[in-house]
Amino acid sequence: MISLVLILLTSLFFMGVVIRTKSIASGRKGPGLFQPMKDLFRLWKKGSVYSNTTSFIFQIAPSIYFASIIMAILVIPFGEYKGIISFDGDFVFFAYVLALGKFFSIIGALDTGSSFEGMGASREALYSMLAEPAFFILMGSFALYTGHTSFHEIFTSLHFGSYISYGLGALATFVLVMIAMIENSRMPVDDPKTHLELTMVHEVMILDNSGFDLGLILYGTNLKFAMYGALIANFFTGSFPILISILIFFGVQIIFAITVGVLESFSARFRMGNNPQFIFTLTSISILIFFGVLLIMGKFI
Amino acid sequence: MGDFWLILSSAIVAGIGILSIPLLPSKIKAFSNFLFVLLVAITTSIPAINALLGNPMDITLPGSAFFGDIPLRIDALSAWFILIINLTCVNGAFYGIGYMKPYKERKANLSLHWTLFLVFQTSMLWVCMLQHSLAFLIAWEIMSLSSLFLVIFEHEKSETLKAGVNYMVQMHIGVAFLTVAFIWVYFGQGSFDFLAISGYFGTNFNGWLFLLFFIGFGIKAGFIPLHSWLPHAHPAAPSHISGVMSGVIVKLGIYGIIRVALMLQSQLLLIGELLLIISIITGVFGILNASVQRDFKKMLAYCTIENIGIIGTGIGLFLIGAGFNNSMLMVIGLSGALLHTLNHSLFKSLLFFSVGSVYQQTHTRDMEKLGGLIHQMPQTASLFLIGSLAIGGLPPLNGFISEFLIYNGFLNGINTIGLTHSTLMILSIASLAFIGGLSLLTFTKTFGTVFLGNPRQELHDSPSEVSLWMRAPQYFIVGIMLSIGLFPQFYFSVSLQLIQSVLPASGQFVLEDFAPMITLMGNVGRYSMLFLALLIGIYLLRNYFVGLHPSQKNATWGCGYVAPNVHMQYTGKSFSKSLSKLLGFIVKEKKKYTEIEAGEIFPQTRKHTSHYVDLFENTIFEQATKKLLHILNYFQFIQNGKVQMYVMYGLFFILLVFFGTLFNLI
Repeated sequence: MISLVLILLTSLFFMGVVIRTKSIASGRKGPGLFQPMKDLFRLWKKGSVYSNTTSFIFQIAPSIYFASIIMAILVIPFGEYKGIISFDGDFVFFAYVLALGKFFSIIGALDTGSSFEGMGASREALYSMLAEPAFFILMGSFALYTGHTSFHEIFTSLHFGSYISYGLGALATFVLVMIAMIENSRMPVDDPKTHLELTMVHEVMILDNSGFDLGLILYGTNLKFAMYGALIANFFTGSFPILISILIFFGVQIIFAITVGVLESFSARFRMGNNPQFIFTLTSISILIFFGVLLIMGKFI
Repeated sequence: MGDFWLILSSAIVAGIGILSIPLLPSKIKAFSNFLFVLLVAITTSIPAINALLGNPMDITLPGSAFFGDIPLRIDALSAWFILIINLTCVNGAFYGIGYMKPYKERKANLSLHWTLFLVFQTSMLWVCMLQHSLAFLIAWEIMSLSSLFLVIFEHEKSETLKAGVNYMVQMHIGVAFLTVAFIWVYFGQGSFDFLAISGYFGTNFNGWLFLLFFIGFGIKAGFIPLHSWLPHAHPAAPSHISGVMSGVIVKLGIYGIIRVALMLQSQLLLIGELLLIISIITGVFGILNASVQRDFKKMLAYCTIENIGIIGTGIGLFLIGAGFNNSMLMVIGLSGALLHTLNHSLFKSLLFFSVGSVYQQTHTRDMEKLGGLIHQMPQTASLFLIGSLAIGGLPPLNGFISEFLIYNGFLNGINTIGLTHSTLMILSIASLAFIGGLSLLTFTKTFGTVFLGNPRQELHDSPSEVSLWMRAPQYFIVGIMLSIGLFPQFYFSVSLQLIQSVLPASGQFVLEDFAPMITLMGNVGRYSMLFLALLIGIYLLRNYFVGLHPSQKNATWGCGYVAPNVHMQYTGKSFSKSLSKLLGFIVKEKKKYTEIEAGEIFPQTRKHTSHYVDLFENTIFEQATKKLLHILNYFQFIQNGKVQMYVMYGLFFILLVFFGTLFNLI
C-alpha cells in the first residue's frame, strides 16, 4: 500500500524535476515542478478528436495501457513493506502485465492506419522485445543470490557485504535505469523532443490520441518512471526505519529524475540502426551480474 | 467393465457414422458428422474422466499367439490427451459445419472429408489408448493417412497436393523410426507391450533408444530440425482441419515423448539437458520465422513450432528434475508442459478458426492484401485478438498460467542445482522472455495488418461477419480459456494428481508438499481477476470522463500531408523488417529482381519479389538432398527399365539365399 502511495506522489513531480534539470542545463529558468501535471489536468478536461479509420481498439487501448501500469505498480514493494500483491515469481507477472499494456498501445497505434504510427509501433515492439531478456536475467540472478523469487523477498534479503556485491548493485541500477529509459522511450534510444516524426518512437505512436486518452498515456509515462525509480530505490532502502527509508526513496527518485534530465541534456540520440545493439548490450551486462552472483556464491570453482 | 462397453460403443458409433455419412444428403453431412463426433467424444471422455479421478482403465484384448495380447489402457496421461482431443475435435467439427458450406456442391469430396474426420478422431483416441507397439503403429498410421486426406481437400491446387505429399513422406520417415525403436525393444524384451520399453530402459543404455523415439515422435510434434512439414501442411488444409491438426495431432507427438520420457531409467540428466536446449532453439526459431511470414496461416504454423518448444522446455525441466531427484522441478516442469499442451490446443484452434473465417470471407491468406477488417468483422477480430493475447502468454488469459509455471520451474532450478545448470536455467529464462517479446511483435503485426487500418486492396466481394455457426465454437473456446486463466488452481491440481499417478514409483512425491504451489496458482488467478476488474473499471471511468466533453471525428493525422492513400500505410513486412534485418542470419530473405542497367534510359515495368525462407529446409536440407540425388545418380544403371534385368535380379537373389543357407552363411 505504502509503495503505491509513494509512487503516486512521485509521479506528480518526477517529470517536473526532469524538465527543470534540462532547463537549468540549457541556461533557462524553466517551468515549475508541477507544470507537467497541470498540463495533464488541462488535457483531461479537453474534448477529443478520433480518426475515421479507428475502431473500438483505439478507444480501449489507452485505458488498458494505463491499467497495466497501475497493476504493475501494485506488485512493487517498499522496503520491508510488501506491495499490495506479492507472490513467488511476481516479477514475471509484473513484466507480462506491462507487456499487455504495450500490446494494446501498439495495436492502438496501428488502428489509425497511419504510416508514421506503424513505424513507431514497429520500433516500440522491437526495442521492448530486446530489453526483455535483460530484465529477466537481472531478476533471475537476484533470485539465485537470495534464494527467493518475489520482489519483496528478494529486496528484503538482499545484503550488500563484499565489494563484488556493491559492484553488482551499481550494475543492476545501471541496467534498471537503462530499461526505464527504453521502456519510456527516452534519450539514448529515443528523443521525445524531436520534431521529425520519422525519428520518433513512442511520440509518433500517440500522434492521433487527444484529450483524456492522451492525458492517460502521458500520465502513464510519469507513473512508469516513478515505478522504475521505486524498483531502484528498493535496492537501497533495505532495513532502515520507515522515515529514513521514505527519505531515501524520494532521494533516489530525485537523483533518478536528475540523471534522466542530465542524460537528455548532454547526450544525443543514437542512430536508429544502432539501438538494437545498444539494447542488447544490457543483456550482456545482466549476464555479468549473473556471473558476479555465481562468484559470490562460490559456485565457480 | 463399464469403461470397456463405453469404448466399444464409441467404436460402434464411429463405425455407424463412417458407413452412414456418405449416404446422407450433402446438406446434413457436416451436422451429422458433428453429432457422431460428439457421441464418440462423450463415450470416450467418461472413461477418461474416470481415469483422471483415479480409476484407470486396463483391458486386455485377446491377440494372436505371436503378437501377444493387446493391452488397452487409459491412465491419467492418456486421459488428459483424450480429453484434449475430444474438446478440439468437437469444436473443429462444429466450426467445420459453417466453414464447409461454400463447398456444398462437391458431394463426393464432402462425404470422404467428413467420414475421414470421424476416422481421424477415432484413430487419435486409439493412439492414446493402445499400449501394444504394433497396434499403436497401426492406429498411428491410420491417423496420419486420414489427416493427409483431410489436408488435401482442395486437391485441385498443385500447391495443396505438394504439401500433402510432403506431409505424407515426412510422417512415414517418422513411422520408420518408431518401427525401428519398437522392434528394438521387442528383440530386447520379447514383448510388444509398452511396459517392455521400461524394462529395456532398465537394463540398457537409454540414450539411443530415446533418440529413435524422439525423432519418430518429434517429426509429428515439429521440433527443429524435424519441423518442415508444418509450415506447408497447415496453410494447405481447410481451417477447421488446421485447427485440429495444430491443436491435437502435433500434441500426440508430445504425448509419445512424455510417455517414453516417463519410462526412462538412466541418463535422465543428459537427455533432459539436450531436450531443453533443442526446445529453446525450437521456440526461438519458430517464433522468429512466424514474425516475418506474410501468409497468416503459415505464421500460425510457425507459431505452433514455437509453442512445441515451450512445451518441450517443460519436459526437459522434468527430466532434469528427475535426474537430480528434485520432485519440485519434475512436477512443475511436467505440469507446465501438460497445461501448455491444453492451453495451446485451445488458443491455437481459436486462432485457426478466426483466420479461417477471414479466409472464407476474403479468399486470401496474404495479410498484405487485407486491412481494416475489424469494421466488417468485429467479432472475428475480437476473437483473434483474444487468441493472440493468450498465445503471447499475457494475463489474464490462460497462456500466462502455463508460462508462469515454467518460469517458476526455471527459477526453482536456478536455486537448487549447480553452476552449469544454473547457467542453463537462466539462459532458458532469458530465451523464454525473448520468445514472449517476439510473439508480442508477431501478433501485433498480424492483428494490426489484417484487422486494423484501411483495406490495402479492393477485394472481389466485400467481407462480412461470419455466421453464428462459425462463431459459437470460438466463444466456447474463449470461455474455457478464461476459466483456466482465472481459476488455474483447479487445472493445476488436476495436473498434480495426474503426475502423481503416472510417475514411476522411484519418483513419487508427497502431494501435500505442493499445497503452497496450489495456493500460489489460486492467487495468480485472483490477481488476474483483479487485473480484469481494473481494466474494466478504468475503461468505464475513462468513458465517463470522455463523455463529459464533446468529441469529433476526423481524418488520421498525416503530419501535414493532405493526400494520403492506403498504400502509405505501414505494411506487415515493414513492421517486422528491422527485426528480420537484425536476425537475417536466421531468417533469410530471398529477393528476385533485375537491376536497371546503366544504359537503360526508358526502363520497362519490372518485378520485385521477396520472401523469407526456412533456414533448415532451404539451406541445410536442400543441400543434403541435392548431394544425395547426385550420388544416387551413379546407381541408375540398376534400374534401367528392362524387364529381363529385373527377372535376373530376382533369380540372383533367390540363388544367393539358396547358397547362403546351403553353406550356412546366413
